[in-house]
Amino acid sequence: MTHPQIAAFARLAKENTPPTRTLIGQKTLISRTMHAFDYDPVHDEIVVNSPLAQAILIFRGGANGEEPPVRYIQGPHTQIVGTGYGALDAVTVDGVNNEIFLPVASNSVLVFDRTATGDVAPKRVLHGPDTQIQFPAPGDRGALPAVGVDPIHNLLIVPSRASLLIFDRNASGNTKPLRVISGPKTELGGGKPHVYAPKGWIVATAARGAIGVWSINDNGDVPPRWRIPVTKITGMNVNGVEIDPVHKEIMVPTGNGNTVFTFSVPEIFD
Amino acid sequence: MSRIIPIAVGITVLAVCLFSLRPANSPWSSITVSPRLVSVQRFPENELCAFDDLASAAALPPDNLLRAPRSASAIARSLTVGSTSAYAASQNSGEVADISRPPVRTIRDTYPTYSFVSVDNQHDQVVLQDNNLWSIRVFNRLENTPPGAPPSVPKRIIQGPKTDIQFNNGMYIDPKNGDIYSVETDTGDKVVVFDRTKQGDVEPTRILRVPHRGFSLAVDEDKQELYVGVQYPPQVPVYRKTASGDEKPLRSLQGESTRLSDAHGVALDTKKKLMFVNNWGHVSDYLTAGTGRFEDASISVYPLDVRGDAAPLRVIQGPKTQLNWPAAMSLDPDTGDLYVANDVGQSILVFKETDEGNVAPSRVIKGTKTHLSYPTGVFVDAKNKEVWAANFGNATATVYPLSANGNVAPLRIIRSAPEGYEGLRLGKVEAVAYDTKREEYLVPN
Repeated sequence: MTHPQIAAFARLAKENTPPTRTLIGQKTLISRTMHAFDYDPVHDEIVVNSPLAQAILIFRGGANGEEPPVRYIQGPHTQIVGTGYGALDAVTVDGVNNEIFLPVASNSVLVFDRTATGDVAPKRVLHGPDTQIQFPAPGDRGALPAVGVDPIHNLLIVPSRASLLIFDRNASGNTKPLRVISGPKTELGGGKPHVYAPKGWIVATAARGAIGVWSINDNGDVPPRWRIPVTKITGMNVNGVEIDPVHKEIMVPTGNGNTVFTFSVPEIFD
Repeated sequence: MSRIIPIAVGITVLAVCLFSLRPANSPWSSITVSPRLVSVQRFPENELCAFDDLASAAALPPDNLLRAPRSASAIARSLTVGSTSAYAASQNSGEVADISRPPVRTIRDTYPTYSFVSVDNQHDQVVLQDNNLWSIRVFNRLENTPPGAPPSVPKRIIQGPKTDIQFNNGMYIDPKNGDIYSVETDTGDKVVVFDRTKQGDVEPTRILRVPHRGFSLAVDEDKQELYVGVQYPPQVPVYRKTASGDEKPLRSLQGESTRLSDAHGVALDTKKKLMFVNNWGHVSDYLTAGTGRFEDASISVYPLDVRGDAAPLRVIQGPKTQLNWPAAMSLDPDTGDLYVANDVGQSILVFKETDEGNVAPSRVIKGTKTHLSYPTGVFVDAKNKEVWAANFGNATATVYPLSANGNVAPLRIIRSAPEGYEGLRLGKVEAVAYDTKREEYLVPN
């Protein structure tokens, strides 16, 4: 990638509307391959990886220009490792419970204290054969998925291959998932899941360039409750999803079109 | 009458667009839409009905809802699909409720984003790599877009699904035959080569598969070798210039001792047998946990025939250098001056090839008169004593005297967007996060 900025656009921005601000430059420590990250509304912070340097960066929510992160997590004690192909591309923050969740290439989810800084060990690690977590190994041609957190129902949603593994949020070590959504009817796509806690919906990417909506209580081979066939509608691929419950919209980034689409989906939030 | 018809059609189209954006609980939510005027209560915040440019819309699949429905009746037909609220499907039935409404808004840049520039001296043409619309655009070398004039029109464009051009960046123009070499910077993982005369949606003359994250190209014409700068894991594989397919590199520079880190631009001095690589300082061994660290940006210098895990001869690094996301580099073969496109520094830096350590550039092209905007491409046209910049930020290429220094106006500007346009600078949008406090989308490249 040529210019790995993080650009902020007004919610109502449209074609050719320039960003209101951009995070750029050496001092930011950001690099290419930022494929899933979070804004923490509780603490007004941006949490994003520096994918090529095995680091988690935390910025002020209103960070702009060549602004350095307020803190970052990096070093030998962190156990952070990505893949050669996909690097360290996904991170999730739970501002309610002050935790940062980082999937890593050792079939593990590392959990850091949100305020941790420097060369720190994770506060817990979800890892082991009973977890059913299968992420790409460091040398594999693949990318790590992002996890979703439901701080209301205390759940951790982990995409693993063509499954969604639903754990207790505090799960640690070699723990079995509470439920597993998996099978041909599920149409799961593997992207970052978002949880709309008031309704218990999991909003995530689905097969064939779509966004699907499942329930946190789903288990087994169940189809999505709703499906937004983005590729059929727009002709472009689907690289992720974000939700805006206030305006009852979802946003879909499409890498092959350098485009962000916004869909109005009140039925999901009502 | 000739004026009335377009106005009437326009009003009808607008009305149908507004009608389609009615609230979900609208009393019309269950009726079939037809192209007629309706009462409008407020202008909605959602403005998109269809693509504004026909080329983009025409490229969509035949069953695509946004595919150029320019007539009122066509728009009306498209909006009957997915225009009503969809209830959640019963999982007992095994069915899925599709929500097929078109997007209400779209963020994208409809103009080219120039990432690289090169000159074909044999045919007096300048070639620009467009990272946004996935194209290569060729102009006359002396093309100039005057202030106030509409954007310049390229002599030819290579663009389309057959071309395999995506987020391409580094280019090389064969000085003898004008062949265009271009490397893909994302998942394409290939170098494509086009014959000089190719245009439109054409297949490359040949394709060479290269490691993921290739960024820059350089060629040793004496030895007929092609150098590829790869960002991460950082390396510089060297191929036969005419290599194709899955051909392996002749040699490669890679390893901890090289001090390569998020490598970007590559430049060669074939007279003095030197290779220059710039680095952003994002360091980690992807096979070993916890090895990440940050360094200052740098330029590392190697023997031209370097291979394996070899240390650089010398390194230019430190705050005096002004390096700030250095991108392409180009060397003046007559003087040995090394030109660096200094993206976030909004400048072109010029170093002596003998520089080492924390040194200031000998010249800096920078300032409001330069029209530089996030320059990521630079090319020394030694024949015409000019230096070109590709500006990622404003859809332009600018050219200066080779001896330029300071806040100098360009000799010429090739502009491919309206005057004063600020580009979105998007590149492979793979995520979005929502800043609820400021009601902003956060979009990474």
